[in-house]
Amino acid sequence: MRGSLSAALALAAISSCLSVVGARGAEGDVAVIMKTLSNPYWGAMGAGVEEAAKKASVKYSIQDAPNESDLAAQLDSCQNLLTRGPKVLIAAAITPVNLLPCFKDANAKGIPVIDLDNQLDPKTTEAEGVKIAFAIGSNNRDLGEKAAEYLASKTTTGKVLIIEGIAGNPAGTARRDGFREKLAQIAPKMSVVAVLPGDWDRLKAANIANDTLQTTPDLVAIYAANDTMALGAVEALNTAGRKANVIVIGTDGNTDAVKAVKAGALDATVAQMPFLVGSQAVEQALKGGQVPGGKIVVPTLLLTKSVLDQNTDPLIQYLR
Amino acid sequence: MAQTTVSAAERRGGFKCHYARQVSWQAPAALVALSVVMSVASPYFLTTDNLLNIAVAAAVVAVLAVGMTFVISGGGIDLSVGSVMAACGVVGATLVSEGVPGWIAILAMLVVGCVSGAFNGALISTLNIPPFIVTLGTLSLTRGIALLLADGKAVYGLDWTFKFLGQGHLAGIPVPAVFLLAVAIAGHVVLKHTRFGLRTLSLGDNEMSTRVTGCNVWRQKVALYTITGACAALAAVLFDGRINAGDPTAGVMYELQAISAVVIGGTALAGGRGTVWGSVLGALIIGVLQNGLNLLAVPSFYQYVAIGTILILAVSGEAIWKRS
Repeated sequence: MRGSLSAALALAAISSCLSVVGARGAEGDVAVIMKTLSNPYWGAMGAGVEEAAKKASVKYSIQDAPNESDLAAQLDSCQNLLTRGPKVLIAAAITPVNLLPCFKDANAKGIPVIDLDNQLDPKTTEAEGVKIAFAIGSNNRDLGEKAAEYLASKTTTGKVLIIEGIAGNPAGTARRDGFREKLAQIAPKMSVVAVLPGDWDRLKAANIANDTLQTTPDLVAIYAANDTMALGAVEALNTAGRKANVIVIGTDGNTDAVKAVKAGALDATVAQMPFLVGSQAVEQALKGGQVPGGKIVVPTLLLTKSVLDQNTDPLIQYLR
Repeated sequence: MAQTTVSAAERRGGFKCHYARQVSWQAPAALVALSVVMSVASPYFLTTDNLLNIAVAAAVVAVLAVGMTFVISGGGIDLSVGSVMAACGVVGATLVSEGVPGWIAILAMLVVGCVSGAFNGALISTLNIPPFIVTLGTLSLTRGIALLLADGKAVYGLDWTFKFLGQGHLAGIPVPAVFLLAVAIAGHVVLKHTRFGLRTLSLGDNEMSTRVTGCNVWRQKVALYTITGACAALAAVLFDGRINAGDPTAGVMYELQAISAVVIGGTALAGGRGTVWGSVLGALIIGVLQNGLNLLAVPSFYQYVAIGTILILAVSGEAIWKRS
């Protein structure tokens, strides 16, 4: 028993040492807490933060949670960052409430808190007595609406499948609702046959697309709340030989999706500018001062093959 | 360790008879019942295309479940299979993107899977730490390695070997279904008709007496976890083929699905009783459920409730029947 206990402790010690060695971060003036760097969207945002910090010659440290659902771990990371006494805290909370205890501590220490990518709910934050310097991000409803506008420009009749993210996720819900409501407005003849949760998972989205083709062989379009799921659906359509008949629209505009749109595999994606969100967040944080309305809205861009080929839109340089 | 009673007939037939005779009606009954419900609920369910779709959709988890059957029958458990699948998937896709031919990439994936499985087995066997804890650790470790290898991004574009395995057809039947059948047959033969398989079941049943019969328990355990790792690699081949990418974030929670499939199939979590066909049926049950919910366009929140409820019912079926 003693032998295995000490062996287990040794194992734990070694692995925690290894994880520290691999972890990013040094003492920082700008503290950034992200959701998870394993999703290219958040990775691009981290890259934007790094570039802005480097330009301003300011030290920064980035922490993230092991995955997009570990609330407690993100809170712990946040508290860790605070102990280093940063000048400003920029945070992308997994839920509107899981980081509030950390933000309260930041307020008490006089450290400004910035809501990265509109993850917080202003009513809840105010009710808890937490002060946020400003919120920056793109509007998720707007993402859904742009997708609906693109679809309506291609066709005004037919059946549509919506693949949303993890059920209940605010960003996914906003995109789904934005898409559905705008589509009902501008293309009332189109009907949404199903709204199914793809859980942000490539394979699950592929299976959903497959199954929906069973009930709706004359499916005309699929809207997915992120690119990972859109690309999964595309592969399912390719396997079934039905890609030519179905328009697929994704969200995020990550590297893979941009390549797919250029190659004609994906019809369109509504790109957020995570790189821009990250870099502008740092720039504004360092500038200090009041932000009108407490919100900075970063534009989004509909990416289609023609938009990418023409390459004239100034926002394209911020795609990662 | 499970207590099993041995009948007089089995005692006459010996060791082999006892383990080879285990049959569980839980899984087939649940599958039939669920399929009947689904075909009544949706006219699209009972079509050839849809049924083949279910087999394809369930194939990845089913292959994982075949490997998991060995480990659980042997009295252990492997929580790292989802992460190992992701790591193998990334390795394969990266090799193909560097110009390596598909079949060599597949061999490399098998090596990665076997090595990580053997690593699990060696740690568990040598240090005598509960498998739950060790594989919980390698779950994290391997996920991290997969993410580091791929720098967090999916690696796109696999060659025709993978595309054929994931998206092709053989005489009208989708290749993933054929692949799954091959893996299941191989698994069944090894578990029920080889000495190795019988030693596995005996190990899960009663480790002490298995050791006394001269079986090298250390080697047996390492072999079991290596099998699970190899199945994770095979699942990754299917995954990469279907999705045309190696995704380092793939397979999250797949180990739980695989374990559910194994338990529904009638394999005892304590070990000593197990059937590969049961696990495959268990995976198909989960597939039928998911497919049915999609066909009926059941709203998201209700899907979670439905899946959980039906899994619990499926597993308690046999327990309730035995009691009555």
